[in-house]
Amino acid sequence: MSALLQLSGIRAAHEGITVLHGVDLSVAAGQVVALLGPNGAGKTTTLRVAAGVHPAASGRLLMGGRDVTGVGPQDLARAGVCLIPEGRGIFPNLSVRDNLLMMTFTGRSREEIEDVAFARFPILAQRASQAAGTLSGGEQQMLALARGLATDPAVLLLDELSMGLAPLVVANLYEQVAEIARQGVAVLVVEQFAAAVLGIADHAAVLVRGRIERQGRPDSGFRTDLSALYLGSPT
Amino acid sequence: MTTTEPRADRFVRELAELKIPDPAAGRAALWLRLGGTLMVLALVLCVSAYLLAHSTTDPLEQRDAITLGLCGVGAGVVGGALFLRYSLTGFLRFWLARQSYDLDALAERLIDAQKGRG
Repeated sequence: MSALLQLSGIRAAHEGITVLHGVDLSVAAGQVVALLGPNGAGKTTTLRVAAGVHPAASGRLLMGGRDVTGVGPQDLARAGVCLIPEGRGIFPNLSVRDNLLMMTFTGRSREEIEDVAFARFPILAQRASQAAGTLSGGEQQMLALARGLATDPAVLLLDELSMGLAPLVVANLYEQVAEIARQGVAVLVVEQFAAAVLGIADHAAVLVRGRIERQGRPDSGFRTDLSALYLGSPT
Repeated sequence: MTTTEPRADRFVRELAELKIPDPAAGRAALWLRLGGTLMVLALVLCVSAYLLAHSTTDPLEQRDAITLGLCGVGAGVVGGALFLRYSLTGFLRFWLARQSYDLDALAERLIDAQKGRG
């Protein structure tokens, strides 16, 4: 299957400072691609460019083989691109049920959205009337994922899913992500903590100072090189 | 939403159907500039018309000045509409995002305060 999402030579800048220096990355349907790298490497910017939220200074963003560079995030979202940002992007003052209700703008019924969400994350059904801000970090992340699934995404972009969560909760969440990918969704995960995501990733790339320094199957050789890439090669 | 078409195929089809404006065109900025230019042009036309009308006693020339003035009014209306359309959209988007952010921040503060009391 050809790539659903492809970034080709993407360069992007923040306030005139270039943070991505020609990023090439592709994600096929049903594939989980992990984008790893140290803090400040440009991982989040890469995701934001892929979602159309941040403009690319040059390079091409292709989806399903079509050049969609410069297309607004609303159009990409309508087509099936879903970005779950770092910090979860839920409404903390609304209940779990109301957070899900807000996703009915996608045209799906409340019942359908709740059925999908509660089947995948049964704990959310127990917390349905609770304010989202009072959920645990893992439950909030589940809610964010459930809201993302309500959009029936074809491309799912996840930013730092493990942020502030216990390893067991993270492992459970990534199991769910793998299951989502098995249903044909192209998943691009940005993650600072490599161990959390490499278990489910089909392909991984390491971004260092805005450049992909290494990419390939996350086998043992890849994992060995990771620490050198994170910390820099010994001189 | 029951469909047998794989999601990836539907995605590709929907993207193919998506009307994508040429990203290089930067049409919004162009329309905004055009709106501003038309408003300035309107001002120039109206002043010219006024001066033309007062510089002659020939009714035919004064009618030309009236025509010129009306063109100025038209350009002003169209320019103003374009300017408002393309400047207000950006402002309202920013305002909406700001409102959403403020509400979120307020809710977080309230929840923290409630947790502190409880």
